[in-house]
Amino acid sequence: MKYMIMLYGSQQDYDAIAGRPDGGKPPMSPEQVAAMHAHMAEIHQKLVESGELVDGQGLTAPVHARRVRLRSGTPVVTDGPYPEAEEVLAGYTIVDCASFDRATEIAAGFVDPDATGQYVDVRPIVENVDELGL
Amino acid sequence: MSTPHRDVEGLLRQLTPQVLGALVRRYGHFATAEDAVQEALVAAALRWPVDGVPEQPRGWLVTVAGRRLTDLLRSEQARREREAGVARRAPADAWLAPPADQPVTAADDSLVLLFLCCHPALSPDAQIALTLRAVGGLTTAEIARAFLVPEATMTRRISRAKQRIRASGVPFGLPPAGDRAARLGAVLHVLYLIFNEGYASTSGPHLHRSALAAEAIRLTRLLHRHLPDEGEVTGLLALMLLTDARRPARTGPAGEPVPMAEQDRSRWDAAAIREGVALVEAVLGRGPAGPYQIQAAIAALHDEAPEAETTDWPQIVALYELLLRLADNPVVRLNHAVAVAMVEGPQVGLGLLAVLATDVRVTEGHRFHAVRAHLLERAGAKAEARDAYLVAARRSTSPPHQRYLHARATRLTDPPPE
Repeated sequence: MKYMIMLYGSQQDYDAIAGRPDGGKPPMSPEQVAAMHAHMAEIHQKLVESGELVDGQGLTAPVHARRVRLRSGTPVVTDGPYPEAEEVLAGYTIVDCASFDRATEIAAGFVDPDATGQYVDVRPIVENVDELGL
Repeated sequence: MSTPHRDVEGLLRQLTPQVLGALVRRYGHFATAEDAVQEALVAAALRWPVDGVPEQPRGWLVTVAGRRLTDLLRSEQARREREAGVARRAPADAWLAPPADQPVTAADDSLVLLFLCCHPALSPDAQIALTLRAVGGLTTAEIARAFLVPEATMTRRISRAKQRIRASGVPFGLPPAGDRAARLGAVLHVLYLIFNEGYASTSGPHLHRSALAAEAIRLTRLLHRHLPDEGEVTGLLALMLLTDARRPARTGPAGEPVPMAEQDRSRWDAAAIREGVALVEAVLGRGPAGPYQIQAAIAALHDEAPEAETTDWPQIVALYELLLRLADNPVVRLNHAVAVAMVEGPQVGLGLLAVLATDVRVTEGHRFHAVRAHLLERAGAKAEARDAYLVAARRSTSPPHQRYLHARATRLTDPPPE
């Protein structure tokens, strides 16, 4: 069974990682950023070795997002649609593993123990149309 | 007798395109031939380290792959006959007709393969993937990792490319003289893109991409060996060597980009610079210079300068103006403005940027704003420079670049302690 582990962050979190001097959160030091990258690389390397990794991607800052709507059938595009503090999807890792419990165990590795209140979500992926009850 | 694994790996990588080329020339069937070569490579990778490398490794691979290809074609044909229920259409001899008019060498086959992979019916993405797979001998997984796409996507991209080549009915051989120049242009473009993909990414999470730059240089070298009189091939090889020579100095300890003016030039690769400069000197003045040769000449001027201040900026300005006449695009204009600012001062450079500012192709990216920030900083306009750095950081999607730009902005906010 496949599961998607979703990580969240706000524009302010991205700015802190990018060392923005006047952002909403204090900028992270180069050492902190390097440690974060090393941790993510290690988790993914372990998943490669255990054969459980399907895909993992990080998304660029919310400011680069575009929201697309149709108005009278014509696409209308909004650039950077999120408020600075709104938490949005920042990245995901898809794993293919034995159980929901195992996926949960993997997901726990993504949560920073030093960041109070941080969370990730794990959701099973629909494997085929039958499961939708269609 | 045993041979270290690494030697066998290198040898196989080098022989792969030759073996594949030999097979496709004799039998056609690019896709099936590739499967057969892969199986022969697996056999070699298992046996050579134990039994030793055969005296004629290429011949060994061609024989094993050829046998496997015959099997595959037979079973494919049998399947097709079963499915279609028609009589055999093509006798096996039809595939066994090598061109009789000229002798073909192993290295020529690699070259033909390169031209085949850069077929105009394919998108640049597909050309790149197929080139790396067939000529570079990279695995699909390696290519997928380098381009940060799932392996399944890359597998489909490569197999679609092979189908298109098959459907186009292009024979295995160098393109006819009339198409040759255009096709060579596509080949050079693909090699350039592969190099850039490897070079433009900095260290850190994308470390493995540096292998792409090395592969691009290896393939361009191969092309140069066969077409020593093609000025643009020489120019591209020189450009790659002269650019790649700066790699050791262009990132700091935490993976942050270091601008050329601040790089420790003692860490540049002197051997690569010597080779690149010699290539540029050999090719310039031999005929009208193309864009790769001009860019190589610019890179040579940078690499030969002992420090940023003593760079021959007037000469670089002249070369960019030559380049603008051949290929007028906003990226070249931006570089031109930087060079002009070095000769005539930041205000003149800012004036050129103001003209460019109406072109969204250039203002959408971060580089225009980063250049503007640097020039404003040099002109002493601190507050404006700081704002421009912040705008540039917002537009960049690369975390190391964002950190660099924010650090520059921070420096302008808090004066360093005396």
